[in-house]
Amino acid sequence: MAGVYDNITWSEARNVLRTWRENSERQSRDVVYIWESILKQHVDKLGNEKFLVLEQVFLAALDCHSLNLSEKCLKILMTEFPGSLRVHKCHAMHLEAIELYDEALSVLDSIIKKDETNAAPRKRRVAIYKAYGRIPEAIKELTEYLKKFMSDQEAWHELSDLYLQEQEYGKAAVCIEELILHNPHNHLLHQRYAEIKYSMGGYDNMLTAKSYFCQAIKLNPNNIRALYGLLLTVNHISLSQKCPASKKKELAKLSTWVSKQIDQQYKLKNSNDDTNIKQVEDLLAHLQLEV
Amino acid sequence: MAELLLDPNIRGWVFLPIVVITFLVGIVRHYVSILLSTQKKVELTQVQDSQIMIRSRLLRENGQYIPKSAFLARRHFFNNEETGYFKTQRRAPVTQNPMSDPNMISEMLKGNLTNVIPMVLIGGWINWMFSGFVTSNYCFSIFLLLFIFGRSIKINYNFYFSAKVPFPLTLRFKPMLQRGIELVTLDAAWVSSASWYFLNVFGLRSIYTLVLGENNAADTSRHLQDQVSGAAMSMPPDPKAAFKSEWEALEICEHNWALNGVDEDLLGSKYKNVDDIDMYSQSSSS
Amino acid sequence: MAGKIRTKQDKDDVIAYSEIAVRNNSAVVEYCRISMAALSGGTAGVLGLTGLYGFGFYVLATISLWMMILIKAGGEWNKYFVSRRSLLTSGFFSGLFTYVLFWTFLYGMVHVY
Repeated sequence: MAGVYDNITWSEARNVLRTWRENSERQSRDVVYIWESILKQHVDKLGNEKFLVLEQVFLAALDCHSLNLSEKCLKILMTEFPGSLRVHKCHAMHLEAIELYDEALSVLDSIIKKDETNAAPRKRRVAIYKAYGRIPEAIKELTEYLKKFMSDQEAWHELSDLYLQEQEYGKAAVCIEELILHNPHNHLLHQRYAEIKYSMGGYDNMLTAKSYFCQAIKLNPNNIRALYGLLLTVNHISLSQKCPASKKKELAKLSTWVSKQIDQQYKLKNSNDDTNIKQVEDLLAHLQLEV
Repeated sequence: MAELLLDPNIRGWVFLPIVVITFLVGIVRHYVSILLSTQKKVELTQVQDSQIMIRSRLLRENGQYIPKSAFLARRHFFNNEETGYFKTQRRAPVTQNPMSDPNMISEMLKGNLTNVIPMVLIGGWINWMFSGFVTSNYCFSIFLLLFIFGRSIKINYNFYFSAKVPFPLTLRFKPMLQRGIELVTLDAAWVSSASWYFLNVFGLRSIYTLVLGENNAADTSRHLQDQVSGAAMSMPPDPKAAFKSEWEALEICEHNWALNGVDEDLLGSKYKNVDDIDMYSQSSSS
Repeated sequence: MAGKIRTKQDKDDVIAYSEIAVRNNSAVVEYCRISMAALSGGTAGVLGLTGLYGFGFYVLATISLWMMILIKAGGEWNKYFVSRRSLLTSGFFSGLFTYVLFWTFLYGMVHVY
């Protein structure tokens, strides 16, 4: 990855960073590399963009844990914009990186006091609790945040992950539902919802899981994880005592269909390697026998 | 129809400058409005209200993608008589008079400052500056003279005109485009500097989109559209009324689970050859 | 055509459009249309078209731009745009203003004086 950016001029480097910034791509290692090898010598040519680049490099440096670099960037930003809340947030992130969590929290609190509607510092607070490993507190903080900013998709996603860590599947499912409302055509969300329902167990949840796996497959027929999930779910349902006999035939049909789909997917992916397919077929046969 | 013979200097000193001036004024206006614009301070409750409105709208629109129990739970959260969000949240009614809010006044003033005033000022200035014209080789000195002494010299009607539109216009347009000249025989296609300026104002709007990018401040018409469409995203003016209408809309919203029969759908669309599948299941289980 | 994200559902030909992609596409088309209006206006002015010929030229230019966009989009135009007709008609009049401006401008510069 380093070699790609060896022979570019500073203006090209600037453009690369600009596109990453606009598309909010992290590419942290590359950013740091470009900064160290090219842009560092040409800081003054950047004009007003200098500070945006510095912020980007700062975040990238935190990602790469090169604290010297991040401190340098932060110092320049702090002297240039002493009153900026955005820089204060960066400051808090730096404190976080050097594990001075309490100081970071107090900086964040001061930002929130100054600008109540600023969402970013509240989210950072959650991140700090998460870094502490105090998941229940992080959850509490995040729910408080979500009461205020109810249509923040990232936050719902994070909350669902936190609940999953705590094995509160029902609550995690609620968060995913919220995401589905925002993004009803994203197959990954449907698949995730189905997985959570599957993990919850129970006949009704299994039926729900089946439907959502089906929806995920419908939205993206190549979603192999959803295919496997559907296979497991269907097999599970037909094993259940609650399942009426009339439904069993339908389920068997679905099950064979899914296994065929999986088989096809593997055949498509490595058409020249027969041994792998053989293994998969054996595996599927094994799953089939369990039914 | 009388044909006019215009001095080529009018082209250089009137026709072209108007285009350049209009264009540059637009650019300057863009940057001035950026300078003047302040970030609107929003209340936390406003943010909360706007976000909950988005959430409830999404529930109405995409509610069929989540299970019925989940939908009902959410509706309960919003609409329940005792504990529902739309029922319990009391927001102070917004003051109807915008003049009572000092922020509003300064916003309006800034809007006027950047939009209306330049347009009127420049239009008036161009009308005053470029309307009477001597067609001679001393055009530049006269130009300066006019600049300094104002509109003191006006020689002939001829010199009113700076442009000719390349298409015929009906006589109806004459009073508008040739104000002050009662020459019946003159083609309406000849227009005065002021008309040429206004043609510029309208025509350059979309050019600003090219030069300054989308949503620029120079383009006032687009600005207005944004305000209208963006109203749904930002805070409704009166949260109480907005909550009530949202409550009603949600109340009559029905839930039809979109995932009903999705498994048969899957089989139906691709599961055509039954024999094929049977053979497969035999071979795999054997 | 910079639009790339769109999702498609098989069932009953329900097509879901990604709003960001649609907006991006329409911005690109708008860009093309303004450029086309300015360029064709300039051409008409230099050629010295007057009266209905000039307006005919604008209509011609609009339709040819529309055709070019459709050819660029290929057979799957409905992947990128919601409606073919609105692609032709939207922005017709705002483009006309730009066209008339450039037309008058270059006509004035070249032919009047």
